[in-house]
Amino acid sequence: MNKTREVLLDVRNLRVEFKGKSREPFVAVNDVSFQIYRGETFGLVGESGSGKTTIGRAIVRINETAGGEIYFKGRQINGRIPKELDYEITQKIQMIFQDPMASLNERAKVDYIVSEGLYNTKAYKDESERKAKVEAALLAVGLLPEFASRFPHEFSGGQRQRIGVARAFVMQPEFIIADEPISSLDVSIRAQVLNLLADLQRLHGLTYMFIAHDLSVVRFITDRVAVINKGQIVELAETEELFANPLHPYTRSLLSAVPVPDPIEEKKKQVIAYDPSQHNYTVQKPLWTEVTPGHFVLGNADEVAEYSISRA
Amino acid sequence: MVQPILAAKDVTIKFSLRGRILTAIRGASLNLYAGQTLAIVGESGSGKSVFTKSFVGMLDSNGWVESGEIMFEGQDLAKFKHDKEWSAIRGCKIAMVFQDPMTALNPLRTIGLQIQEAVELHSDARGSVAKARTLELLRDVGIDDALHRYHQFPHEFSGGMRQRVVIAIAMACSPRILICDEPTTALDVTIQAQILGLIRTLQERYNLTVIYITHDLGVVANVATAVAVMYAGDIIEYGTSSEIFYNAQHPYTWALLSSLPQLGIKGQPLYSIKGTPPNLFAEIVGDAFAPRNPLALKIDFVERPPYFQVSPTHYARTWLLDPRAPKIDPPATIKHLREKFVGVRA
Amino acid sequence: MISKKMTTLEQQDLFTLANYDASLGERTGYSNYSYWSSTVRVFLKNWAAVACLVILTILLVFTFVQPYLPAQRDPNEINISPETSRQLRNVPPGQEFWFGTNSIGQDLWARIWTGTRTSLGIGIAVATWNITIGIIVGAIWGYVRRLDRLITEIYNVLDNIPTTIVMTLMAYMLRPSISTLVIAMGVTGWVPVARFIRTQVVIIRDREYNLASRCLGTPASRIITRNLLPYLVSVIMLRFALAIPGAIGAEVFLTYIGLGLPLNIPSLGNLINEGRQLMMIPTMRYQLIFPSIVLSLITISFYVMGNAFSDAADPRNHV
Repeated sequence: MNKTREVLLDVRNLRVEFKGKSREPFVAVNDVSFQIYRGETFGLVGESGSGKTTIGRAIVRINETAGGEIYFKGRQINGRIPKELDYEITQKIQMIFQDPMASLNERAKVDYIVSEGLYNTKAYKDESERKAKVEAALLAVGLLPEFASRFPHEFSGGQRQRIGVARAFVMQPEFIIADEPISSLDVSIRAQVLNLLADLQRLHGLTYMFIAHDLSVVRFITDRVAVINKGQIVELAETEELFANPLHPYTRSLLSAVPVPDPIEEKKKQVIAYDPSQHNYTVQKPLWTEVTPGHFVLGNADEVAEYSISRA
Repeated sequence: MVQPILAAKDVTIKFSLRGRILTAIRGASLNLYAGQTLAIVGESGSGKSVFTKSFVGMLDSNGWVESGEIMFEGQDLAKFKHDKEWSAIRGCKIAMVFQDPMTALNPLRTIGLQIQEAVELHSDARGSVAKARTLELLRDVGIDDALHRYHQFPHEFSGGMRQRVVIAIAMACSPRILICDEPTTALDVTIQAQILGLIRTLQERYNLTVIYITHDLGVVANVATAVAVMYAGDIIEYGTSSEIFYNAQHPYTWALLSSLPQLGIKGQPLYSIKGTPPNLFAEIVGDAFAPRNPLALKIDFVERPPYFQVSPTHYARTWLLDPRAPKIDPPATIKHLREKFVGVRA
Repeated sequence: MISKKMTTLEQQDLFTLANYDASLGERTGYSNYSYWSSTVRVFLKNWAAVACLVILTILLVFTFVQPYLPAQRDPNEINISPETSRQLRNVPPGQEFWFGTNSIGQDLWARIWTGTRTSLGIGIAVATWNITIGIIVGAIWGYVRRLDRLITEIYNVLDNIPTTIVMTLMAYMLRPSISTLVIAMGVTGWVPVARFIRTQVVIIRDREYNLASRCLGTPASRIITRNLLPYLVSVIMLRFALAIPGAIGAEVFLTYIGLGLPLNIPSLGNLINEGRQLMMIPTMRYQLIFPSIVLSLITISFYVMGNAFSDAADPRNHV
């Protein structure tokens, strides 16, 4: 596991604030650090309001950062950056959005929607090359090329989400942030989109950051998972390790609450409630500690000692 | 022979949409028994919401029940024409809880008044008697600080608390049947567990029969005693929870279970159902799932399958159960689940 | 259907696996919904709106066709009676003059149609100007966050200047003519439109499809023209439809306070004004009634049509 893998994305002490009505800005992301390696699928799991979407949007520069740095292939991409770097990021980092009903421009044809990024970065020589790229992208996501001349409302939710994937994919990115891409889809369609993402990754060497709130789905597709609560990452580990040995009480609570489609298991399950006040951080401040290789947890010295014992 | 408290038989519901007729429910039948927790599972467009809305007379104005009967307490609800006829049933004997608690509550009135309004509407209680009942309801749904909360507005509550208020309004009249339309989809996982637990508690305390409409099979596994699977406006399989999960018979149910990431094996592609549900404006010949079914028989395109009995509580609408049909091997996930079934039955 | 007439072999064949064609499943989802044809269909269902459309069309066509009809008089010509050689003043409506004549003998029929042409022209010119400038300013104001505070402050100043005073000042300073009126109404007319557009843009600017466009690097100008404005077409059409009678009404008002067009350019404004002066004499009321009816028809028609179109363009009504 300790091979020297290329770090594609390096997030250090990221802080994102939103100005609210009161004087104090609302801190959505508070001192978050993690790395994503090339070729892996990195999962970021949390409940609503935890800040996971904000992190994704900060990476693609939709949200502004209030502190910390984000490095992509060694170069800093948050804050003010030169135009060429901005262009490069637009091509190399793309995003898939959550709600297929809201993430496509209803008044534009699928052709324009998929080509939008190409127009912006002028990534084609002439009209025929652009059309060819659009066709290839639509085929790659399992849609028929004739769909290019239609409008989004003529398609089902699953097909629309696939159009969203085509839109990101046509740019030939290296890194795709998938922000809850299947949460708004019907259960039977989720498998289609998950398989599609896995295929594209395998064929084109993509790296994913998969943002979700459903731990059980994340288990299936991710290599490593980070659990985020109220703007802070509380635990990070390889997926199977996290499920086998959850250390942080929030992670345990989350795992116990996720419904599993198996009646026998469900009847046996006990839901563990998470109480934030169980942490006493007045004397010992919480630190981001590596308990076992690759398995990090947020806790103060006493808690980490506890976790190490339970892990051993 | 136990009588069902609600019996829907061959119900057909149509809508007039943009000048054309859409058949949302195509001859669906369902029996609901007292004390059951029935989960109606289906993707969007399958008709699960429409079907249950017809039990409380809340179909959109461009929809109507074309044929069939819905027997409840000796009355045929399918024959109701005016809102007046529904007033004794809707909210009172059969209550509904919807998905989004924010839009179900009036943001401009205190929640206490909203609950009390429901109490006064369906009973003779007024004034302080109604208020006492309201406070009792609030405590019932787990809102402890009832008197203080009575005077608060919806925006002062979190999502889970709001859903509790909505449940309290639904319980105001002590209904016999509670229909919950995706009650936890908009909520976080931890809150979802609480709300499902709450409904279970209320069910035991008040002898409620509950219908859950959902597409989340995890929720179904948690709450349901009986499951009905809907596809393209028809109930294609129904049975007890164990029977549906561990001994499914219809290819659509197989596909549904096989495509769940929770049951998938990492690194291998999930079984996914290709294509999209059929267009309900057009007439559907044969089995509606046939075009998307790799295991379809030729007869699936010709004639609609009848219900075949698998057990006294388990029925499925698939030609594969016909004695003349070939023996088909279900997908790997289903075979794996069948092994559990044997254990359950024993 | 399985029938007894089928042979056992045919029955057996039905129970074999069918050939599976994956693309069949992909095609069945197509819904064939067209936004604009649904809009038109819902609009046509509203009989009041259709009636107004018909009336307005007839009116419009007639105002342009009228001068080319035979036996039409010049609107400014003072008609002299051949017998008495005196001006045919205040002749009530009849065979000779369908709408009668005014106090100096001009044919009201010709004056009304000419006046309608003039007023409609002014109305459409002012409305077009106001809506165009309003959209440009409002869209930039709503979308570009850095300019929000600056433009809001400018708006607060402009909004507090009574438009009536601005209009009267401009009309007073410049000589009375059509262009004066258009300028006077255009100087402040765009401000409420800009405010309205800005509000609408703020509502939709953070929707996911706009975030997606930003993520793809689309510049603000193209986001405004291809993502935002197409969504606002229905509300823009409504504002436009209401702006036309609004401008005509403003013209009537300016004429009322003496700052309108000179009498040799007939307009609904000065026709109504002239008629108002004779309002108290019953036999001469026709001079007020006819132009008022025309103005009312125009105003009501635009109002009803504008609202009906706006309702029809809302996708939630496409049922």
